[in-house]
This record gives sequence, C-alpha cells and structure tokens, in this order.
Amino acid sequence: MAEDVVFLPVRQLAEGIRARRLSPVALAEVFLDRLEHLGPRYNAVVTVTRGRALEQAQRAEGEIAAGRYRGPLHGIPYGAKDLLATSGGIPTTWGAAPFKDRCFDFDATAILKLEAAGAVLCAKLAMVELAGGMGYRQPNAAFTGPGVNPWNREAWSGGSSSGSGSAVAAGLVPFAIGSETWGSILSPAGNCGLAGLRPTYGRVSRHGAMALCWTLDKLGPLALTADDCGLVLEAIAGRDAADPTTVDRAYRYDAGDPAGRRFRFGLLRGITDGCEDAVRENFARSLEVLRGLGTVEEVALPDLPYDDITRTILFAEAASAFEDVIESGAIAGLTAPEDRYTAYARDAILAKDYLKALRLRGVMAREADRVLAPLDALVAPGRATVAAMLGGEVRSAIRGTARDVMGAVGNGAGLPAVAVPNGFGARGLPTSLQFMGRAWEENTILAAARAYQSATDWHRRHPADV
Amino acid sequence: MSEADVVRAEVETLLALVHARYGSRLDADQLAGVRTAIEGIVQAACALRAVRLSNADEPAQPFAAYRAEP
Repeated sequence: MAEDVVFLPVRQLAEGIRARRLSPVALAEVFLDRLEHLGPRYNAVVTVTRGRALEQAQRAEGEIAAGRYRGPLHGIPYGAKDLLATSGGIPTTWGAAPFKDRCFDFDATAILKLEAAGAVLCAKLAMVELAGGMGYRQPNAAFTGPGVNPWNREAWSGGSSSGSGSAVAAGLVPFAIGSETWGSILSPAGNCGLAGLRPTYGRVSRHGAMALCWTLDKLGPLALTADDCGLVLEAIAGRDAADPTTVDRAYRYDAGDPAGRRFRFGLLRGITDGCEDAVRENFARSLEVLRGLGTVEEVALPDLPYDDITRTILFAEAASAFEDVIESGAIAGLTAPEDRYTAYARDAILAKDYLKALRLRGVMAREADRVLAPLDALVAPGRATVAAMLGGEVRSAIRGTARDVMGAVGNGAGLPAVAVPNGFGARGLPTSLQFMGRAWEENTILAAARAYQSATDWHRRHPADV
Repeated sequence: MSEADVVRAEVETLLALVHARYGSRLDADQLAGVRTAIEGIVQAACALRAVRLSNADEPAQPFAAYRAEP
C-alpha cells in the first residue's frame, strides 16, 4: 500500500476500509513502519505494539470481509499516551524512568472501548513524565527525551501528551489518545497544528489511566480534524462502573453538516493580553472567519483567582496521588532536574486552602455556565505562544509563569474544548484557536470547529519533512 | 506586622516543615527551588483566602454514601 494514506483523516480512511478499497492489515503495516522508522526522530514512541496491532488488524479484516463492519474506527490504527494501562506485556511507563519496565495485566477502559470499536493499537506514545505533575520547566522531561515538533525539529511538541501530538502531526498514526489535567491535550494539539478535544469531565472513563489529579483528569483524542475527534469521542465515551466520575449520559457524535447554522460566539475581555504578536494576529483573522459563521460578542467573567483555584487543586491532589513516589524519594530518578524536588513543596498546601479552592470551584463553574448559557462557545487562542524551543523554558499556567484563564476555568469547571490550527507564527510553528462550551456540549463545539475548518485550510497543511 | 511580613513568615514556616521532612534529600539549589515553589503556593493561597464565601458555599466535590449491594 502506498503511503498516500498518510495524512488522510480517519473519516476518509474509514470510507476506504468500509468499501474494502483499503486493507486494515496493509494500513497497519504502513503506520507500524512509520512508527518504527520515524518515531525516534520525534521521540514520539515508547513502544510499538506490532504484535497486538497485526492481530487486531487481521481480525478487523476478517470481520469486514464477512460483512461485520463495526463502524468508522474499524481497522483504523491509533496510538495511546503511555499512561493508559495495556495488558499482554506491553509496558506502561507514565513517561518516567522509574516505571520504564512496568507492565499491567489489564487494559484501560479507553483501550477496551477502542478495541470494541475495531481500532488497531499500534503504539504507546511518549509523554512528559508523570504527565508533568512534578513541576517540569523544560521540554526534556521524559525518559524518552523531549517531544520533537514535526513542524520544526528544534521545537517542542508540547506537553504532556507530547508523543500523541508529534505522532499524529508526523503521520505516524491517524489519531491518538491523550489526557488533559490542564492543557495537556490542547497544548500539543496547538503546538503541532492538530485538532485536540478535551471532553467534559466525566464523559470518558479514566479507569486504567494514571491519576495525576482525580478531579481534573480527562482523556480525549488528537487527530487531523475536529470531525475525527468526534468519531473517536463517540467510541470512548460512556459510563463505566470502574470510574465513578463517569456519568450515565449517552454520547452520540452529531456529524451533521453545520453549513447554514449561525453560531453565537463569546470572547472574554482581554483574552489576547500577553499573547505573542502572531497569535494575536491569527486570532484576529480567525474572528473574521467566525463572524462569517455567526456573531462574536465580548463577555466577562467576574474577577476571581481562576488560575490559583485550579492550580491549588492540581498541586494538592497530585501530591496525594503520587505520595508514594514523592515520599519514597523515587522522584530522584526522574529526567528533568526540577522534577526531582519541586513536588516536596506541595506538602505546604494547607487543607483549608485546598477546600477553599474546591468551594471557589463551585462558584467558578456556576459563573462559567452563566456566561456560556446563551452562547455556543467561548473562543480564544489555543495557546498564548507558539511551541517553545527544545532548549528553552516552558511557560506554564500550571506553575504560574503564564496566565491561562480559559484553561483554568475550562479544566477547573470540567468544560469541553476543542483546539484547531489557525495559522503559523515564529519559526514556522502553528498557532491554534479553541472553542470551549457548556458541560456536555461537545457536539456544539465540534460543529463550530468543523464550520471553521470548512472555511479554512490550515488543517490540510502538514509538515514537509515527514 | 505588615501583610508582607505575615506572608514571609508563612513561607518560612512551611519551608521549615518541608525541610524537616525532606531536607536530608535536598541540596542548597534544590532547597532554593522548593522555597520558590512554596512562595507560589502561599501567593495562590492568599488569593483564595481573599475571596469571601458564605457558609452555604460547599466544596464542588460530590461524595456519596457507600453501601455494597444488596
């Protein structure tokens, strides 16, 4: 099979598979070869799961030949961030040297759901060690090395789902699963010029996923288009008795053509303050496109310490989730020097302050919903900057070196958001546009993102040297 | 004591706690990094404490009583 299948969206690959023009086995071979040969260039891969992939692909091919087509992910290769447990001797490393040989004897629910949908697991993808929860300040914070950006190999792919971002952008897999506690899907999606969907908290089971922060962690897809994100979300969403935070609320992706729909977009006052020039300029151009799709109005949230609320919750819960790793001193084995000691400071978070953050989170969630209720989405730059350089320092709202109201509110209140590419900035690196919606409104924000992508072609551009 | 003095005292107290627990593992540079991180934590806490809430503002954290079936 020719490599012309690379950079085809999942929807197009699925049409080829369903019509039996594409063989799932041949498709898996193409992407397995790319993962093996190009993966190291981007530090994108922890483990290529060739045996499991070919077994799943052969099963898919047989089922489809027998007329048992499962749906749009049947026979589609994918990669999973290496914090999702996988059985069968496939390591699950959490990106951290102390766990590089650790294996589980079960599969995470998201892995099982994708298997049920017929998807083909081709790789466990690299990530920032412990999903960045120990306070890293640099791209080189994983035992696999820094995630390399396919658009510019001197730049970072983003974190913490770094391999998920670079693998999809380099055409090593058609889609990937990432996780977001605060920024870890939207950041690599933005840095790598991809669509990335952070679902509503409780939409997707985290059973079998590394816990960084129980009340903030979400799993979601990174793909070439917003449409593909919807296809993947439908496969992984749903209540799971093994994750009590999941809700009994069915999700069916509405892929209906948004053409002709008039959207109502909101824009937080001052949202581009502190953004790089190119980010601000590309966002202004995006607003012009959005005004062609509906209305854009300025809105305001009350003055609350949003970053401090979400950051305090994250730090306190991460300190507890990794109590054994921190107190045993195992963090000394992490890659980034600052990850070896910063977490000790989290013992200084007082219980009353953590509870205050949780109480303020309720206020924040109600205020965000009040602002979002009359809107289809809040729009904003996906990130304030293009990707950091590999030798540089990473600006992070989590550590307090950058402000990120959309991220603080969106993650703190558990709201869905999708990022899509909207241009390029310094050093040929992509910038992005995010749509954030009310809880459970993934279909609305995906429709808005699809409408934007129908009017632009940024998502059809791919790195040259891949 | 000024507000800044109170904050500084809180940072020193919390740093002493962390030092008592983990000081044997930390060199001077790392301890300085921990101090910076604690300063950030205390700054965030001050911002949270400055917001007034009512007695009815509960933590947004559901807890459900547990009972195994049946």
